[in-house]
Amino acid sequence: MAKKDVILNVNGVRREAIVELDEPLLWVLRDDFELTGTKFGCGNGVCGACSVLIDGVARRSCRVPVAYVAAGHEIVTIEGIGTVGNLSPIQQAFIDHTAFCCGFCTPGMIITATALLAKNPHPTREEIIEAMDYNLCRCASYPNIIEAIESVVNTSQRRHLK
Amino acid sequence: MSITRRQFLVSLGGTGLLYAFRFTPEASAKTEPFEPIPVDDDLPQCVAELPDVDYMDWIAFSPDGKVSVFTGRTELGQGLKTVITATVTQGLEIPPEKLTIIQGDTDLCPDDGPTVGSCATRVVAWGFWLACEKIRTDLVKRAALLLGIPSEELEFKAGGVGLKGEPHTLISASELGGGKIVKINLDPAATPMEKQYIDLRIPNVNGELIVTGSLKYVGDLHEPGMLYAGWKGPPYHPTLTRLLSAEMDAARALPGVKWVKAVAGRVAAIGERYSDVVKAIDLVKSSWSVPTRSKELRVEEEARAGAVLEEKKEEEGNVDAGLASSNLVLTETYKTQYATHAQIETDTAVATPEDVNGKITVWVSSQYPHLAREVIATYLNKPESEIRVIAMPAGGAFGGKIGNPVTREAAQLAKIAGVPVKLIYSRKDQFQLRGHFKAACIIDLTTGVNADGKMIARKVDVFQDTGEGTKFTYDIPNVLTRVYGAEWIFGRPAMRGTSYVQTCFATESHVDMVAHKVGMDPLEFRRRNAQFPIYVELIDACAEMIRYDNHPLDVDEGIGLAIVHHGGSQFGAVAAKVAVDRASGQIKMKQICAAFDIGTVINRRTATVGIRGGIIWGIGYALSEEVLLNGHSIETEYLSEYRIPRFSDTPPIEITFLNKHNPEGTPRGCGEMPVIPTIGAIANAVYNAIGIRFYSTPITPERVREALGNA
Repeated sequence: MAKKDVILNVNGVRREAIVELDEPLLWVLRDDFELTGTKFGCGNGVCGACSVLIDGVARRSCRVPVAYVAAGHEIVTIEGIGTVGNLSPIQQAFIDHTAFCCGFCTPGMIITATALLAKNPHPTREEIIEAMDYNLCRCASYPNIIEAIESVVNTSQRRHLK
Repeated sequence: MSITRRQFLVSLGGTGLLYAFRFTPEASAKTEPFEPIPVDDDLPQCVAELPDVDYMDWIAFSPDGKVSVFTGRTELGQGLKTVITATVTQGLEIPPEKLTIIQGDTDLCPDDGPTVGSCATRVVAWGFWLACEKIRTDLVKRAALLLGIPSEELEFKAGGVGLKGEPHTLISASELGGGKIVKINLDPAATPMEKQYIDLRIPNVNGELIVTGSLKYVGDLHEPGMLYAGWKGPPYHPTLTRLLSAEMDAARALPGVKWVKAVAGRVAAIGERYSDVVKAIDLVKSSWSVPTRSKELRVEEEARAGAVLEEKKEEEGNVDAGLASSNLVLTETYKTQYATHAQIETDTAVATPEDVNGKITVWVSSQYPHLAREVIATYLNKPESEIRVIAMPAGGAFGGKIGNPVTREAAQLAKIAGVPVKLIYSRKDQFQLRGHFKAACIIDLTTGVNADGKMIARKVDVFQDTGEGTKFTYDIPNVLTRVYGAEWIFGRPAMRGTSYVQTCFATESHVDMVAHKVGMDPLEFRRRNAQFPIYVELIDACAEMIRYDNHPLDVDEGIGLAIVHHGGSQFGAVAAKVAVDRASGQIKMKQICAAFDIGTVINRRTATVGIRGGIIWGIGYALSEEVLLNGHSIETEYLSEYRIPRFSDTPPIEITFLNKHNPEGTPRGCGEMPVIPTIGAIANAVYNAIGIRFYSTPITPERVREALGNA
């Protein structure tokens, strides 16, 4: 397949790469745009370490050909969620609840949690588990991740009730 | 960072102060007494050889007030950097921004051993604490001598020494050093920990980097001109076959592919992008020698047939006489599966070719960068001084990143390519090419009990692993534990909990069955036979948490318990509650309550997340994880085929820490231990639920259905 010039909207910025159209989005993000927060874990869409938001939906970037997202779709990576010194509430909650050990799966976890809370700001514990269940963490920080997400839900609920 | 260790030392020369210390928990106070007035060496102005210093961890004071800490141990997710930060900033009374921690860089850090055996807190952080205490004392003595003020009137404060009660320091550490290396021998037994260090609850120092995706793992590095590399591996276990021929033309013709060639008995592809490499590997048609029948990947009974006695692990009293005099004797056999680390980060390394000085640099995810350097040196026939290995934070290790071959492979491919190379193992490579599995064991047990429900004899024969963990749990006067080995393709790789995992599953399942045979409650039976009082306390703590005596259980629900002794003196008990779904065979974890005595808990946040993770790891081993082998091949290819625990597999987990066995002692680590008793506790809970004993792990839904007769 010949290489083509593709235009992507990543974290609100127009980015350009010359790649084959079946190139997985993961490697364009990591190697062309140096957005290395999105991780390679399995290459088969099983682990979720490569999760990114595509039009607000958490998707496995290792299974998304770049052609699929080149036409104006909004891609948000972990770098677009928050930055050092300017963390999103979920990112802050992950720190506050020590919701990681090695941290390798964490960007994917935060992406999936962000998508969940955007769609359902007040999920039950069961809904959190269901939404997060296909993101794998070998350190198994699962209980702390659930607590972190619940803390964000509870804070926003309190705000909502005021 | 381009500075080398020698350059760093020279930069301190004349004005800086370097403390080099040795801390080995195994070294007793008798052999290495603490030297109150340490022996000084001059900091070298021009460094040629530093043999002594090479073996030690370092804390260095620079003239600008900064403190640098050097350790060869690496960050694996266990929070080593966090616990070192906590200890050194408090121990030396400096703000975190004045502290630099340099880990796992062979050019800068001493070889203080591999990062294994739950050592982060138990050995490394504890060592740094003790060192800080000694440094404070030493600096006060130096200040007294230099300033002519009695040392009773001085105290350590904020990285220097000042008058007692005064807010400011009179003199800084580096001013007191005058360009010295001070060597300290630490006596771990003799130095009590100061109260101020206990129960820190500090957040992970890498936290902000982790949650923003900015912490750099090895796969995130990019060197100028770098190419990507990957392997085409064999369809059989790599040690059983050799490459006969490969058709590589189609792969070579792909755009972006730089070269495809046979390297080290496999086929390597190098390309501009990782996707180019993946596509090239797909197009390579390779043919491999067919392994012989005798080299089949044997487990089960064949292993027993070829086994030879390696070691009598434990022998006390007369086990045969003990069994002969017992009122009841029970003999059982337990088996375990092949399991693997399945870190989410696959093996990855970045390597450079030789620079103008002949030096190569390799970045890797490793538990032992100094070993990696040694391996590369042998492999490439280069002096170690021309190889720099830098261990990046690992995306999980669990014993699987000690001497991982990706390091030397990347170095070799970079040498051939003449440009920097990033070698990435695919998930399939991780299962099949790495082929690094926790040994599947067979464990025979025979136990004799007297009329009072006391175990009086136990014989344990372990095939294919080292049978750790039979000691220090039960008080049995006549014991014999034998370890059998055979020619074994996979060896006995390290994986979280080592052979304690297999042995404890077997012994704790067996103890339950012995209790049932004598008609005793399994908890009461353990209480009666426990070797140390701490077990009774741990069992009672678990029983209370899970309400063992009056827990309302539904049909097909059950509670089980197991105890463990691990390593030096870590003790634990885990109680598990399960529900068995007879139709699907699914075992649902309902609750886990665990009590541990790991000595002083240093950072409850890190300890809790690590222990919960260990318990969940045990759930995976007990219920779902198994590498599939067939003949000479490893069949597991996708992560979906090796089922590690998920959110939905995780029950509520409650943990209690007791510090009673040796409350004045050192912290003892907890990374591995929680895995170990969880497995037996689950198997015992399943027995309690449906009355079926599972003698093999994992207890999968298929095996449950089969056992229930509805396969």
